[in-house]
Amino acid sequence: MPVGRACALTLGLSIASAVGGTAQAQVKLLEPERAFAFSVQALDERTVEARYAIADGYYLYREKLKFSVEPGALGSAPTFPAGKMKQDEFFGRVETYRGMLAISLSLDEARPGRQVTVRAESQGCADAGVCYPPQVQNVTLRLPASGGPPGPPVAASPARKSWFN
Amino acid sequence: MTRRWLAGSAFAVAGLLALAAGFHFGASSTDGDVEDPRGEGSAALLGVALPDATGRQQSLAQWKGKVLVVNFWATWCTPCRAEMPEFVKAQREFGDRGLQFVGIAIDQPDKVQEFAAELGLNYPTLIGGYGAIELSKTLGNRLGALPFTIVIDRSGRIVHTRLGPFAEPALRSILGQLL
Repeated sequence: MPVGRACALTLGLSIASAVGGTAQAQVKLLEPERAFAFSVQALDERTVEARYAIADGYYLYREKLKFSVEPGALGSAPTFPAGKMKQDEFFGRVETYRGMLAISLSLDEARPGRQVTVRAESQGCADAGVCYPPQVQNVTLRLPASGGPPGPPVAASPARKSWFN
Repeated sequence: MTRRWLAGSAFAVAGLLALAAGFHFGASSTDGDVEDPRGEGSAALLGVALPDATGRQQSLAQWKGKVLVVNFWATWCTPCRAEMPEFVKAQREFGDRGLQFVGIAIDQPDKVQEFAAELGLNYPTLIGGYGAIELSKTLGNRLGALPFTIVIDRSGRIVHTRLGPFAEPALRSILGQLL
């Protein structure tokens, strides 16, 4: 039995035993932007690295990851590292990422010293048995000058809070 | 992903969200009995009208007086899909005793229709878009994750919310007390 399924089952059983009593299941789940912390680092005047620090017990779907840059475009389709194949009961074999994920994005042209915005779309789930809606995160950063050192990693700013929170 | 259905659904729900403004359970656990003594949460929810998969507006108020189970879900959410046969079974068994399941899908109508047909869905499911995620947040789904399920008693009070799959014994235990 996959670990995720085992966790979900254990969670289910503990909730079943708690129902009717005063005890409540206290499974703390993370906000999506913490479960899938996104940052971007400019490596050179034409290359940025998009990174997800994926919390333990969470995973992202490879096929749901989409990247774009403004201004301009990506010079080539991003190369994704090999993920972990997961047998999904509805979607068959799907590739997922856990832990640290770094994807190098190459721009269509060098833009030394210029500002670019990286837009990343992702969707993931927690082993506890919940999925988060697709999430879009933007990071704006300045590319290094030609031949200059890489820039610092820039984290995605927290998602806009809804107006009634 | 098409932007239009997202934007459209967001608008549809946005106005109704005003009803829910200021109302917040603040729940952080995945599961709980809910204190909603004045029925504010359910009033906001029952005030919502959303299109069904054929585009017809459906008001949740039409099911007032029933034991209502509102399930926020999506076809892209495996745990959501996995628990729905259980809901179909419960609807079949207890429908004539006044149980009504209603799905709110954060999804596209064609995908919802396809999955509903595949599953033999025997209760209505409305199309909510991202606006429905915001709605669910006002009802205790702090993280906006799926599946999220709300149980409302016959008097219109929210008696239980659940983030994550509903274990069948837990669901039946809760429904058993209400039907």
